[in-house]
Amino acid sequence: MRVSEIDLVSPSSVDKCLYMLRDHDKTFRLLAGGTDAIVQMKDGKRIPDIWINIKNLTELRYIREEKEGIHIGPLTTHTDIVKSELLQKKADVLVGASMEVGAIQLQNMGTVGGNIGTASPAGDTIPALFVLDAQIELSSFNEKRTIPINEFFTGPGKTVQKQNEMITNIIIQPQSENEIGIFEKLGPRKAQSISIVNVAITLRMGSNPRECLEGKIAFGSVGPTIIRSKKCEKMLALGPLDDTAIQDIAGAAWKEVMPISDVRASAKYRRSMASALLERGLYRLMNRWDAR
Amino acid sequence: MSKEVKDVQKLENQQQLKWVGKSVKRIDGPAKVTGEQKYKTDFNYPNMVWGKVLRARYPFAKIKGIDTSKAEAHPDAVCVLTHKDIPGFNGFGIVTPDQPVLCEDVVRCTGDAVALVAAESLEAAEEAINLIEVDYEPLEPVTDAEAAMIQGAPQLHPDGNIHSHVTIVNGDIDKGFEEADFIFENTFYSPRQMHAFIETEGGWGKLEEDGSLTIQCPAQYGHRDKLQIARALALNPERIHVYSSPNGGGFGGKDEITVQIYLALLAQNTDGRPVKIHLSREESVIAGIKRHPFKVTVKTGAKKDGTLIANKVRAVADTGAYASLGGAVTALAIEHASGPYKIPNVDMEGFCVYTNNGIAGAFRGFGVNQVCVGIETHIDMLAEKTGLDPIEIRKKNAYLQGDRSSLGHVVSSSVGTIETLMEAEECDLWVNRELYKSQVSEPWKKRGVAAATSFHGVGMGIGTPDYGAATIELLKDGRFKVGVAIEEIGTGNGTVYAQVAAECLRCEVDNIAVIQGDTKETLDSGTISASRSTYTGGRAIATAAPNMITLLTEAAAEILNVSKSEIELADNKLIVAGDESQSVNYKQIYEKLYEQHRSMRVEGHFYLPREKKELKNSGGAPHHLYGYMTHVVMVEVDTLTGETDVLHVVAIPDVGKVLNPQGLEGQSEGGAVMGIGYTLYEDILIEEGYHKTKNFTDYIIPTIRETPIIETIPVESNEKSGPFGAKGIAEVVMIPIIPAIMAAIHDATGARINHLPATPERIYKAIQETKKQTLVSR
Repeated sequence: MRVSEIDLVSPSSVDKCLYMLRDHDKTFRLLAGGTDAIVQMKDGKRIPDIWINIKNLTELRYIREEKEGIHIGPLTTHTDIVKSELLQKKADVLVGASMEVGAIQLQNMGTVGGNIGTASPAGDTIPALFVLDAQIELSSFNEKRTIPINEFFTGPGKTVQKQNEMITNIIIQPQSENEIGIFEKLGPRKAQSISIVNVAITLRMGSNPRECLEGKIAFGSVGPTIIRSKKCEKMLALGPLDDTAIQDIAGAAWKEVMPISDVRASAKYRRSMASALLERGLYRLMNRWDAR
Repeated sequence: MSKEVKDVQKLENQQQLKWVGKSVKRIDGPAKVTGEQKYKTDFNYPNMVWGKVLRARYPFAKIKGIDTSKAEAHPDAVCVLTHKDIPGFNGFGIVTPDQPVLCEDVVRCTGDAVALVAAESLEAAEEAINLIEVDYEPLEPVTDAEAAMIQGAPQLHPDGNIHSHVTIVNGDIDKGFEEADFIFENTFYSPRQMHAFIETEGGWGKLEEDGSLTIQCPAQYGHRDKLQIARALALNPERIHVYSSPNGGGFGGKDEITVQIYLALLAQNTDGRPVKIHLSREESVIAGIKRHPFKVTVKTGAKKDGTLIANKVRAVADTGAYASLGGAVTALAIEHASGPYKIPNVDMEGFCVYTNNGIAGAFRGFGVNQVCVGIETHIDMLAEKTGLDPIEIRKKNAYLQGDRSSLGHVVSSSVGTIETLMEAEECDLWVNRELYKSQVSEPWKKRGVAAATSFHGVGMGIGTPDYGAATIELLKDGRFKVGVAIEEIGTGNGTVYAQVAAECLRCEVDNIAVIQGDTKETLDSGTISASRSTYTGGRAIATAAPNMITLLTEAAAEILNVSKSEIELADNKLIVAGDESQSVNYKQIYEKLYEQHRSMRVEGHFYLPREKKELKNSGGAPHHLYGYMTHVVMVEVDTLTGETDVLHVVAIPDVGKVLNPQGLEGQSEGGAVMGIGYTLYEDILIEEGYHKTKNFTDYIIPTIRETPIIETIPVESNEKSGPFGAKGIAEVVMIPIIPAIMAAIHDATGARINHLPATPERIYKAIQETKKQTLVSR
């Protein structure tokens, strides 16, 4: 089929969109920001019979705090996240990650739902959503289900989302007063780059100097999906996070990742960089904590 | 000294310059920034058709047959063309036309063109292209330049894989190394940089009703394109008119034919309908020329006191499947491989070698980027070894005007190396470098400051004819139309032309209309390359201007009824000497000449100055003119990751007299950023003949976030032969920054990166290796 012959429909509500997705005879793709979908189409990949343009579904663009967590609509753009005072206060790690997505133009167009749906191992917001214990709400015309983010991805570009489903909500756990987070990214340059390695870190700090009660670490781009670094997480609470402790913890990260070599970097370098980014992130977090 | 140069100098001595040397705003600025000025590939016409090129499936293969029947049967196909449809010579290439327009029996890289299609829409053209069946017999590709030189390697061309071999020998190299106290030897690898111009290759072809052919396209030398098209189409070149894009960038990447011959062939088969080709970025990456990757081995001998005594260089350039300007690039590299110094004993050789790795050709710097790193790194190592100041070593070895260079020839044109180095020594970044280095932004980061010097020839070498020409026409409203064929592709040369013309004709810049990149209206004045357009176009205008003044004077004398000798040129008018009340303006002169049916157009021609004797086997060395340059840079390296930021650049060019300081800054800043890209980020990766880097997702060029503070401090050595003392700027501005960044990384971390680009991974690895060395030595 010629690209110029693909239909594009613009449903006026989520219900109408879900109704369209019931049709099993045709292939659909949801078009939100288009920052991945259009690029893939130009490469001749995943060209659908029909584009469903959901850009105008403003009911899916929100950030609000509710009892069970902060709700983020899938059509929330990265720029919306960066500018949200609520998220700056209670999900700094996600704000940091959103600031590192591509460049300003991509942040204005791209959506958090799209970043999740594309399921790239290098997607920048995903590690941050991991450490914020995100729950992804998937809706079809007949039902709704909520999947914890660590069960959402099944491989590069693959998720549990079915053809008749769309992401309708993302619920994250807000950081408390003594929680701090950071997103570290290594790309081939500062802007407009795809991550070679990235990592999201959140720490819950105690009352003693540099005392960490608990922490979460999620690496991107060093495996087929995001990798939670469970060993390093346990080490965070073993003692005060002084420079030696930081180096030891970072050194262990090397063992928990399983990257590949590609045009951007070798597997060996990626492994070393998992340690380096964790080390740099913890240094920066501790400096921030000391200076608060 | 020629007459016109004397006239210009007289002008310069007699009066304050009104336009030259001033930051006159770009005459094309408003049209460019508002988008009013279009790229040629932006246009669309009613009744148009789309052209598309079928590229080779394999990097190296025999073609056993081409079946176009299915493509021809496509309902929307207008024509399908193969090598059989080429009326003339099936080849192109600026020097050696070894690249087939459409391949017949063999393909040598994945950028090779095999067939052309024109169709009713771009999608239809793509479909029809995919219906062409080519029967290939794949061959084992030649992927390494040095392996290609070995006997028994598959041969890409009838004369073998070595396209050219150049040498420059001076003094006694063995004696030089014997006398040396220190010898440094290293091998450097350079990236396959892409021009990354904003307008990809493309354009329009149209067969006019009178049978002439119009080509509109991004191009760097329309007059030569015309000849290359004529050769392939067996057409009278005078029946071909090329109009070049007034923007879009080139950097050398559009010096060679890109799609012009395809446009011409298709236009001859579309029944007068205009045909458009516009390469996607992906196709441009595969088919467009790139900078030659070099492997350069350099051995430098020096004495304890910092005197450079011997330099031996062996450079191997990968020109890919076709020569294009590879021979000239290799020759220029060797000419510059010992730096702007007077090293008494040199032995340098360069090979330009065919492989199946795409196609390489002209690119800003033209080989000097790749070789300057050797001598500059070794000077830096010498400074480290001896404790001498690296700038002092350069000053000690730099040749002055009138000195004998490392090549053994006496440099008679202006030389500003020492002045640029003195300026570098005095600049704040250098003077306070220890302070700046201590101000790291985070404890695991390290800063380094370093300087490097280089030079670059202006204009063609001895072997290539190099001339300039301009026309000046008096217009009805008393303004002047200045025609110089040399394209404006973003450089700002048109503004300089207007300044020179306004200065010579004593009128306002606004009263000069500049026409460029139009082969119908302008005289051949050579290419926009080789840092030559300011010098060449400027001097051509300064040559034509006295002819216009003569014409104006004659008419004024008739109008005012006095003898010609009594007429004097004043601002915007001619007067009777000593009596300003008796005057005529240019509009009145137009009217007078019009009445008399006289021509109001004058021409100016000149030949660029050159050396008398070519160095044997050098391929065109030496040049008569060189621009000189020193860069001082500060970098900050994240030692945890290897990420490197260039924070501050001080750019100190000697380009003769600066005609437009704002234009010079533009060139200097653009060159610095392109040099940063070359050193830290950019490389087109090719494996087994296939491109691994496909587009800007993985071809990393600096963005504004990688752009440092750039100061430009020109030192003006007055070049007596140039228009108002100017030389050239465009290439040298991206050269010494390369070794300067490399040395600054070493200053920061102790690691030397001899394989560019210095990506975070390479820098990280090198830092790890220095740590290992430390452990061993303990």
